[in-house]
Amino acid sequence: MIQLIHVSKRYDQRLALSDVTFEIGKGEFVLLMGPSGAGKSTLLRMLIGAERPDEGQIFVQQKNVTTLKPSDIPYLRRKVGTVFQDFRLLPKKSVFDNVALPLLVQGTSPADIRRKVTEALRAVGVEHKRDQLPAGLSTGEQQRVCIARAIVNGPVVLLADEPTGNLDPALTSEIIELFKLINARGTTVVVATHDPLVMTQVNRRVLTLSQGRLLPEQRVMG
Amino acid sequence: MRTNRTTTMVAILTTAFTLACVGVFLLVYVNLRTAAGSLQDDVKIMVYLDDRLSADSVAGVEQHLRSDRAVASLLFISKEQALGEFKAQFPSESHLLEGLGQNPLPASFVVALSPLFHSPDAIKRWAERMRQVGGVSKVDYNQDWIDALATVIRSIELVAIGIGVILSAAAVTIIANTIRLTLFARRDEIAILRLIGATSSFIRVPYLLEGAVLGALGSALSLVMLKCMYELFRQQMRTMGRFAGLDNLIAFFPPSVCLALIAVGMGLGVAGSFVSMRRFGGAKA
Repeated sequence: MIQLIHVSKRYDQRLALSDVTFEIGKGEFVLLMGPSGAGKSTLLRMLIGAERPDEGQIFVQQKNVTTLKPSDIPYLRRKVGTVFQDFRLLPKKSVFDNVALPLLVQGTSPADIRRKVTEALRAVGVEHKRDQLPAGLSTGEQQRVCIARAIVNGPVVLLADEPTGNLDPALTSEIIELFKLINARGTTVVVATHDPLVMTQVNRRVLTLSQGRLLPEQRVMG
Repeated sequence: MRTNRTTTMVAILTTAFTLACVGVFLLVYVNLRTAAGSLQDDVKIMVYLDDRLSADSVAGVEQHLRSDRAVASLLFISKEQALGEFKAQFPSESHLLEGLGQNPLPASFVVALSPLFHSPDAIKRWAERMRQVGGVSKVDYNQDWIDALATVIRSIELVAIGIGVILSAAAVTIIANTIRLTLFARRDEIAILRLIGATSSFIRVPYLLEGAVLGALGSALSLVMLKCMYELFRQQMRTMGRFAGLDNLIAFFPPSVCLALIAVGMGLGVAGSFVSMRRFGGAKA
């Protein structure tokens, strides 16, 4: 599903990623751990074509992301759902409209939009908030809406960049359980985090970055 | 447009004033060109005949002229008629000719060319051709003022084009800046749209449409302003005794031209949006 082969990235004098190689199979749930500045966000941005590596190659679903034309990148991103630490919801649009956005850009019919958005909101447990604006939601609810938006068009991969960074431990657990549910339905999930609490909750594969380098893998017993 | 009403209104008004300035020059140019065309329509060419030409030869020249497709009408003025007209126009100078004995004034044809041949170049070519015809001694058509008129019209045309280009560029810049402000205000939304897989076209089209609407509204408003100025000007002309009646000689743009100008405004708006959007092109998140 995801392959990185000898990927390196440099910003001026700073080496963000150095010779990173790994593979993530279909349906896996992988934690990408490391302190701030380790290169986690850079790596996730590369998976959606927002950054290009200086060296190496990246494959997502057998497609070489590093050589994709700019006009093809939107079509890659439609297969990859993304969840952010700062949620990035549109403040003037309702919960429903926020979640519907990925379907709107693909030209989905209004009937299908209604059905899929309702399903996604139900899956994350905020269907009753569909008509509210993001400002009227709690932090945990906003993150659920963000997750709903990421899964509404059935992506093959779900990337989450510090999804629990703004959440307390109780909410963190709820969100991680949600990711597990999504993964159980067949979606490959990659969660970038520096939160050790997430590690303890997830009995899954861990890739650890330190100063841009990939450390030997470890499996965490949660 | 709704998200930034004040900026939008300012952009429409500024575009309207800018395009109204272009419109003033365009209106002056169109009316001058129409007036010049009317004057050229009245151009008469004098074809003077050799003094010793026989009646048959005169008839031959007349036949030649009548068969020329460039000639719309002609009038023969005999030597005697020419003398009579001279005496009627210059009664105090008629004694000068009497002193010469015989009538020195030649017979002539007064020729009006068909509308297709009213341009200064066409008149010049026709006159040159006529000078080669046997029996024709001279061809006269007030060449100087026709050439001067053509020069004036060409100069006004160049000035109008120059000013039009400069002010159109100003209108494009105004609209580009307005769209740029909108893009900046919505940069977070645009970034999110990119991240969830929106193509550049999906993101750009609303802003191109916004530019088109701004341009069209600005252009339409400029026409309203121009029309008000035009009616005011005509009213002023009517009240000034010297120019009374001349107000009927000037005309506003016909509906087809007004629609074309609105379309041009729309085009300028799209161009302004496009200039702004270039900075936001591609799939950079």
